[in-house]
Amino acid sequence: MAATKQKNLWYVRQARRKRRFTTLLTVFFILVQVLWVGVPIFMTVLWSLVDPNHPWSFPNILPEKLSWGQWMYVFKYTNILRALKTSYTLAPCAVLLSFLFSLPTAYVLGRKQIPGKKFFQTIVLLPIIMPGMVVALFLSRVFNAFGLAQNFFGLVLAHTLMGLPYMIRVLTTSFEAIPQDVIDAAENLGANTFVKIKDIFLPMVRPGLLAGMIFAFTTSIEEFNLTFIIGTPTFETIPTILYSFLGYNFIRTNASVVALIMMIPNIIMLFAVENFLKSDYLSASLGKL
Amino acid sequence: MSRLILKDLVKKFDNVAAVNHVSLEVEEGEFVTLLGPSGCGKTTTLRTIAGFYQPDEGEIYFNDRLMNNIPPAKRNTSMCFQSYALFPHMNVWDNIAFGLKMRKISQPEQKKRVAQALEMMSLSGMEKRMPGQLSGGQQQRVALARAIVTQPDILLFDEPLSNLDAKLRVQVRVEIKEMQKRLGITSIYVTHDQDEALAISDRIVVMNQGQIEQVGDPQSIYLHPMTSFVAGFIGLANILSGQVVARKENQVQLELPFGRFWAFAGGLRASVGDTVRFSFRPENVVQYREGSPNKVSATIQHAIFMGDTIDLFLDAKGTRLRARAESAAKLKPGDIAVFSIDETAFQFLE
Amino acid sequence: MERKNVSSIDYLLLIPGVGFILLFIGSSIFITITQSFGVLSVTGKSQFTIENWKAIFHDKESLDSILFSLKIGLLSSVGTLLFAFPVALFLRKGGSGKRFLASLIKIPLFIPALVAAFLIINLISYHGIVNEALLALGIIKKPLRMLNDKFGWGVVAIQVWKNLPFVLLILSSSLASIRDDTIDAARNLGAGTFSVLFRIYVPLAMPGILVSMILMFIKAFGDFAIMSVAGPTYPPSIALRMRNTATLFQEWDKAAVLGVIIILTTLFITWLYSRLAEFVTGRK
Ligand SMILES: Nc1ncnc2c1ncn2[C@@H]1O[C@H](COP(=O)(O)OP(=O)(O)OP(=O)(O)O)[C@@H](O)[C@H]1O
Ligand SMILES: [Mg+2]
Repeated sequence: MAATKQKNLWYVRQARRKRRFTTLLTVFFILVQVLWVGVPIFMTVLWSLVDPNHPWSFPNILPEKLSWGQWMYVFKYTNILRALKTSYTLAPCAVLLSFLFSLPTAYVLGRKQIPGKKFFQTIVLLPIIMPGMVVALFLSRVFNAFGLAQNFFGLVLAHTLMGLPYMIRVLTTSFEAIPQDVIDAAENLGANTFVKIKDIFLPMVRPGLLAGMIFAFTTSIEEFNLTFIIGTPTFETIPTILYSFLGYNFIRTNASVVALIMMIPNIIMLFAVENFLKSDYLSASLGKL
Repeated sequence: MSRLILKDLVKKFDNVAAVNHVSLEVEEGEFVTLLGPSGCGKTTTLRTIAGFYQPDEGEIYFNDRLMNNIPPAKRNTSMCFQSYALFPHMNVWDNIAFGLKMRKISQPEQKKRVAQALEMMSLSGMEKRMPGQLSGGQQQRVALARAIVTQPDILLFDEPLSNLDAKLRVQVRVEIKEMQKRLGITSIYVTHDQDEALAISDRIVVMNQGQIEQVGDPQSIYLHPMTSFVAGFIGLANILSGQVVARKENQVQLELPFGRFWAFAGGLRASVGDTVRFSFRPENVVQYREGSPNKVSATIQHAIFMGDTIDLFLDAKGTRLRARAESAAKLKPGDIAVFSIDETAFQFLE
Repeated sequence: MERKNVSSIDYLLLIPGVGFILLFIGSSIFITITQSFGVLSVTGKSQFTIENWKAIFHDKESLDSILFSLKIGLLSSVGTLLFAFPVALFLRKGGSGKRFLASLIKIPLFIPALVAAFLIINLISYHGIVNEALLALGIIKKPLRMLNDKFGWGVVAIQVWKNLPFVLLILSSSLASIRDDTIDAARNLGAGTFSVLFRIYVPLAMPGILVSMILMFIKAFGDFAIMSVAGPTYPPSIALRMRNTATLFQEWDKAAVLGVIIILTTLFITWLYSRLAEFVTGRK
């Protein structure tokens, strides 16, 4: 009896109303966000499924007929397959190379107190900060001079350049996070340099390494400026193909298919790695200048 | 200045009550300490008073005003945080003046009051420093100045001294107490340090698992604990139970494995045959002298020299007891010695 | 951190990473600068001249494109901030629904810029869903031109959509470093919602706000792809203008001048923002 009376007091009601307001706000934000992200993606999916013989035009709210026709068309009559092959051979090469290049650098930046460290850390960020088109255009002059333009190896180097900052930053943070005590303990127990690398450093930076590889990989898959200037027309990657569909001859249906082809692996990757892709890594590689 | 009344306060987190039916009245200008082990709900109680948490049940009154739904900004309380919670982007002056600005106090009045508070906390000359450039003790003073400058109705302290070193802690607690008496502001002080609580409070509220165990002034809390929790939490205590075997006038005789003992009954209602719980302090177990009551002979297990006394761990026929001896006493582990327990030392527990 | 003596081996180990970046970025910047003065030129003869600079500063289209890019850069950084800051504040404290919200918001981060451009183009085109919806609701009489519009709203919309999560991440990490106690202390001292926001949250998050605005500005200012598919036909963005000058008109030296202008603006804005950061946080 006393309890029910308590529950009906005005201030209890007001407190409950306040809580409900917070919940409502969360739901509202989620709804807005679902629309914000969902509608563009949904529309693209729809467009990619429009039947070529029943075009979707102004008064119709939904396409008359859905089919895989556009997908067939894109795979049959465009260079998408070749572009896919180029993109997905380029990316692993660039990831491997940037891993090999970044490991020693990240080790020094993460574990040694060297003069000029701040300077080196800024240098590492340059590929992200420097305007892409400027670098692309004038690096292409350099590449031309050395015969690296319109050349697969040249493209790998270019993509490595763009992946390196993420790789180095994330690995540096991982190296920094290893407590000196652990290393001292290993040394104290008689570990030599080789054992230290194999049993201490590498396992402890592995999560960071994975995160860095994912960043470098997606960077390579998305890279446009350098590929566009240095690679095309000899090499086409998915972004450059998409660009051509969006450019002079805008073909919305084809572009939808290519956009989805480019996007789906990324989103799958995002959800597959959500767990260890903590925002620490994201902010380590993107934020803090 | 306000009287503070808590009526049957309940605060739950995820359906677990962190504060469980707490009722308390604090008089105007009184200094009350909430004392209890970690996780017993002290901070939660304090934050509910400040308005950071909404109580799930019960009422909070400042004087006769129901405060349940007043937002923290409108309660006119001032809280001192364990972390000091100084605004890191404001200098000392702006930190202290913040509450005055929020209350739209006029500029000249602000100047006057901040200067006064700086003076009072011996912070003059540090107005322009940023919190990061102050020592822990100075930060503490700034936090105190910031709290009192708004002339709050109630001062709330959440373990304000726990980040200071031991010496400073003793010094600052005296200053807090003096300041509070001078200003006469009703104060609620949270700590898990019993020495601090005993030294500083007008009254102590001992809390355990979200509930109040006992309320009383420092002396009565220490000398007359009413529950085994209070007896064990404050100071050292031997907590035992035994049967009442005889009763005469104001005394009862207790049967224990290592003998029979006479004790003053106080308000004890038990009759012969009942089993009762009670406690007595180690300082009441002293070396036997001719004529002392309640003789116990026990084996000394450890004797720890503490400077002013010797701390003893005894084995009395299988029962472990704590006792005290003067520092000059020649006692060593393995010795069998005779002790006596004062009749007035026995505190009967619920 | 090992406090052993610095050995030259440490510097050697820096070469693969830092050296690689320095070599490629450095050489391209070097070429850009020299070429803007006609030195190491591929077209014409290699000779020091400031004619190219003069030419660019007398070329209306180039000047217009510089101003246009500045405008887009500013609008994009401010726009993203205005969207991201309230969300970041809302997400500061966890909660089951909020965790879901946080991972939803991250999605555009993993959508390539060109794809993002296309997704939004799809929505805001002349007969896109946004126009259709506004028409159906009777808010407008005839579809709005939001794509390739003269002002550049389409580009700003794409930049905001794509970069919201990125800015959100930076803001969240700087908001996360604000202690709850600090907020409580302010409320306890009488600060209402408004005061807490503008006297505590904003100043304490200022470093993050500035960093995210710098990065957003740099991205949007020097952008090529999004501007060229969603931007107006005139003026082109500065990066587009530069690329056209170089590859269509084969005037590499003039393109280099534009390149130097982009780099200098980027550096200048970074410097300006960092001075602002010092000023706001009140310390060096
Ligand atoms: N915000 C919260 N959310 C969920 N549970 C909480 C929250 N705050 C406190 N609790 C729980 O409520 C109980 C009481 O916590 P409280 O902070 O009041 O303890 P305390 O007495 O101040 O302890 P300490 O001496 O360690 O500060 C604890 O079990 C704690 O885990
Ligand atoms: Mg606490």
